[in-house]
Amino acid sequence: MEIGPPVKKLKHSGSYCETSTDIFDRYIQLIDNKKNLKAVLSDEFDSPLKLVKVFVGHIKDVKNISKTILALNQKIPLKELQHLKRVRRQDVILCPTNFFNDTSSIQDFIECYVPELKHVFEYFKQVEVPLNPPKIDRHFQETKRIWSCNFHPNKYLEKLTGDEFFPPYDLKNHRLFMKVVFEVAKFYSIKYNIDSIDSTFKNINATIVVDPNLQTIVALSFDNRQAHPVQHSAMLAIDNVAKTQDGGVWNSKENNNEYVGVPEDVLPYLKEKFPSLKYYQKEYKNVLEDKIKSKEGPYLCTGYYIYMLREPCVMCSMALVHSRVQRVFFCIGNDECGALKSKTKLQTIASLNHHFEVFTDFL
Amino acid sequence: MSNSDINNFMKRALELASEALAAQEVPVGCVFTYEGTIVAESRNSVNITHNPTRHAEINCIDFLLDYCRNNNINYEHYFKDIVVFVTVEPCIMCAAALNNLKVKEVVYGCANDRFGGKTVLNVSDFYKHNYILRGHLLANEAMALLKQFYKGTNPNAPESKVKKAKQ
Repeated sequence: MEIGPPVKKLKHSGSYCETSTDIFDRYIQLIDNKKNLKAVLSDEFDSPLKLVKVFVGHIKDVKNISKTILALNQKIPLKELQHLKRVRRQDVILCPTNFFNDTSSIQDFIECYVPELKHVFEYFKQVEVPLNPPKIDRHFQETKRIWSCNFHPNKYLEKLTGDEFFPPYDLKNHRLFMKVVFEVAKFYSIKYNIDSIDSTFKNINATIVVDPNLQTIVALSFDNRQAHPVQHSAMLAIDNVAKTQDGGVWNSKENNNEYVGVPEDVLPYLKEKFPSLKYYQKEYKNVLEDKIKSKEGPYLCTGYYIYMLREPCVMCSMALVHSRVQRVFFCIGNDECGALKSKTKLQTIASLNHHFEVFTDFL
Repeated sequence: MSNSDINNFMKRALELASEALAAQEVPVGCVFTYEGTIVAESRNSVNITHNPTRHAEINCIDFLLDYCRNNNINYEHYFKDIVVFVTVEPCIMCAAALNNLKVKEVVYGCANDRFGGKTVLNVSDFYKHNYILRGHLLANEAMALLKQFYKGTNPNAPESKVKKAKQ
């Protein structure tokens, strides 16, 4: 759960109250810090190791260890526990305790399936061992303490789970784009006279879509859910991206703006606030025309980064999966129906056909 | 609603799915009914719009929201009586949208193993209001269309993403 910072009360015409604009400004200031962002990863990275009960046999004579392993690997291979070494000192894993469900004892089981090992063991016991292969060094260290295991370190994953993922320059950019998101939300909240804003930012959202290679804003949007329950900001942003690819369905009145994915009304405001920002232009597309013809042009949101004020709901999160975005950054958690961290983590569902990375912890 | 009505609605949805196939779209079709009458019908239009959220259900929702706005109808009330017939189990996104709109019932053809809002992730866990969900109505017909589609290649995908045909 995201915990908002303490509310700073401002003196305002005799009474203490914070206007919507004040709230946005306060958050824009808060976002402007140097702390690294955190990836939202599957639960296995935070929760304790999953264990499984196995039968272990204690080998009487160390001379029999290699022969025992050979026989066991052949007759009772450890299919799901390949990450574990079969033997630890004189203890050897025989099989998971749920391997046979009749009432026979482990001694009977060994005598029946590996009769040559009948007299090798001094005694049997049940122990719990880690069920899954360790993915990161921390898991490896924990696993090792329980049972010897194999480990193939993954440098990227190691970094992703660490505290130093983004180098300072990238971090500055991500925080800048998040500030843009809040400025967009502020602009529209003033324009539409929305005054019920508090630190949960419930019922509003803003989204910007960035091409990280060109460092340009491809599209942006502000939530319209009050008028149209499907027009959450992510859905609008996806449609605005479609407009940059000669598609799109909503509000398709001719936008004379040279930046097709960016609504005209907010542009002057952003240009004043962030003079150095670049926007994805129609001309870019024309330059890329030949590439498009060869079908190597932009395809949906492939390769794009999405910055959102609030964690997207289930509908919007799945829309972002369909759009094949590369990364999603959000600032405020959505306890009610957030689908990237709070209620579920859509990005961790292995059977989906696309997976993006999710980052938060801007505050 | 009689069984023959229900079958006819799904048959209409299948016709729309075939239209989608002819237009090189993922063949999913859908009709929304209100008091036993079709009030919206659509099919997938993802490729033509370059918008991957333009599923048949979203198109119907959009159409009905416009209809409600133009006729001064409260959409929140209106959607509570909507029964949806869709050839393939709604995906996670569409299931969320339909839960959010509090539709009455969803009847689908075949299950959706890739994106299903019940099969892959049970979206109803995240919403207080849930619609009645029934499946496997003319499922073979719906599945046959999908199979036909997935034999071909996505005309919009960049070449580098298109799976190379087996030698």
